[in-house]
Amino acid sequence: MKPAKIFAEHESLILGTGFIVLLLVIWESIPFWYTLPKGMALFFTTPSRIAAAFYELLLDGTIEKHFYISAVAFLAGLGLSIIVGLPLGLVMGRSATLEHLLDPYVTAANATPRIVFLPLLILWFGIGIWSKILIVFAGAVFPLLINTYVGVKNVNRVLVNVVRSFGANEWQVMKIVVLPNSVPYIIAGLRLAIGRAILGVVVGEFFGSSHGLGYMIASAATNYKVDVVFVGVAIFMALSVILTLAVKQLESRLASWRPEAAKSF
Amino acid sequence: MAAQAFFTEHRRLWLALCSVFFLVASWELVLTYVFPVDPFFFTKPSLIATAFREQLQGSKLWHDLAVSSQAFIWGFAFAVIVGIPVGLVMGWRRRVEYSLDPFLTALYASPLVALAPLFIIVFGVGVLGKAALVFLLAVFPFIFNTFAGVKSTDALLINVIRSFGGNEKDLYLKVILPSTIPYIVAGARLAIGRGLVGIIVGEFYAASEGIGFAISQAGDTYRLPDMFVGIIILSLIAIILTELMRRLELTVAPWRASDEVR
Repeated sequence: MKPAKIFAEHESLILGTGFIVLLLVIWESIPFWYTLPKGMALFFTTPSRIAAAFYELLLDGTIEKHFYISAVAFLAGLGLSIIVGLPLGLVMGRSATLEHLLDPYVTAANATPRIVFLPLLILWFGIGIWSKILIVFAGAVFPLLINTYVGVKNVNRVLVNVVRSFGANEWQVMKIVVLPNSVPYIIAGLRLAIGRAILGVVVGEFFGSSHGLGYMIASAATNYKVDVVFVGVAIFMALSVILTLAVKQLESRLASWRPEAAKSF
Repeated sequence: MAAQAFFTEHRRLWLALCSVFFLVASWELVLTYVFPVDPFFFTKPSLIATAFREQLQGSKLWHDLAVSSQAFIWGFAFAVIVGIPVGLVMGWRRRVEYSLDPFLTALYASPLVALAPLFIIVFGVGVLGKAALVFLLAVFPFIFNTFAGVKSTDALLINVIRSFGGNEKDLYLKVILPSTIPYIVAGARLAIGRGLVGIIVGEFYAASEGIGFAISQAGDTYRLPDMFVGIIILSLIAIILTELMRRLELTVAPWRASDEVR
């Protein structure tokens, strides 16, 4: 096959990876063609130094230790937000009264960056794992709740009426029609929730913490260990991208029978 | 009868108001009569209201808000200036899309706020560090929403312009930009939320003024009423800005209203 044809067939892949490689090469080569002033050099690092730092931290178990703490906060917070968000979204979608009663809090809390509650949570729950779990929860619960609610709201009235006509009670309506209909919305909510949860872990560990990847970043920045900062950032990036892609995959699989994919925002 | 009609008509509003009133009242009453409040760890609405009045009359709050909004506006303005053109070119030039898309998607999906400590240390605790952080967080919704807007432009309209001999400039100004504007406004709503996170985290991390600093300092010194005042003011600003963007969205693109998910 001719190179031109290969290029034409895999154009997006070649250009996409090519651009990233190009950026990394330029970044790596900056010290060779430009001597940075001393003040700047302090904040400067290159991809190879970041990779070296990553390898070193991986060998001495630092990453493993911090990763474990962060993962616990992430999973516990996300789990808690699923346990609270899904049922609440379901009942809010089914009961208009409850919807009107809770709506002001949900709307207000969803518009507010939940990060502002961090000092309050640290004050109440200390600098241990609980304040992190709760900030993750505060971030992740609303996308789940709102998407579940929207999924329930968008259920086909005809299907509900059919099931009702055949004598189903509210629980059966929920199980047979409402829940299956909401699944794609819930998955889309989960994707957003994962992003918010990771944000919560990062920022929660920046402040008043002595463990976790967020702490590793913050303390490395304070000590001008820029390569360690980037190691932490790269780990978070990789995790976010992997998790987001995995949920997207799930989303497209579950939503493939639908004429229109679930909305995320 | 009229009262009842009024009630059914505005049921949503009534129930919302009742719910908020009931919550605030029970918070106040429970803490006053059932569990006497320990002001170090908890506070009640009456104390928050007093603190609110004091802060509104003082000058510190206004100064903090001015400092924070200055950084926010700079970062946000640069996000608009950079994000929209990048999104436009990405949407219109296929090879640019192929080159930039994986890189920018990875950045958009990742918690870039993790760079906050580095930004504050490199650019300082002043306006520049926070503005850079706001820019970094807010630029991606602009890029990707503009991109999606261009992608969804009606091909028929493009052909019409081409058939009547329009050049590249006409194409951008008469078709692509107008049909992209609703998407950009929707992107602005997302960008506001992300930008506010940037300001808050930047000021929590290191600052000597600003609304985020005021909140974290009140927390560090156990002044709970002041902390609640900061949180409430920040929430109000976030709600107002988000609501404004939603209204703008409805004005520029009423046909998209049905797509809206809150």
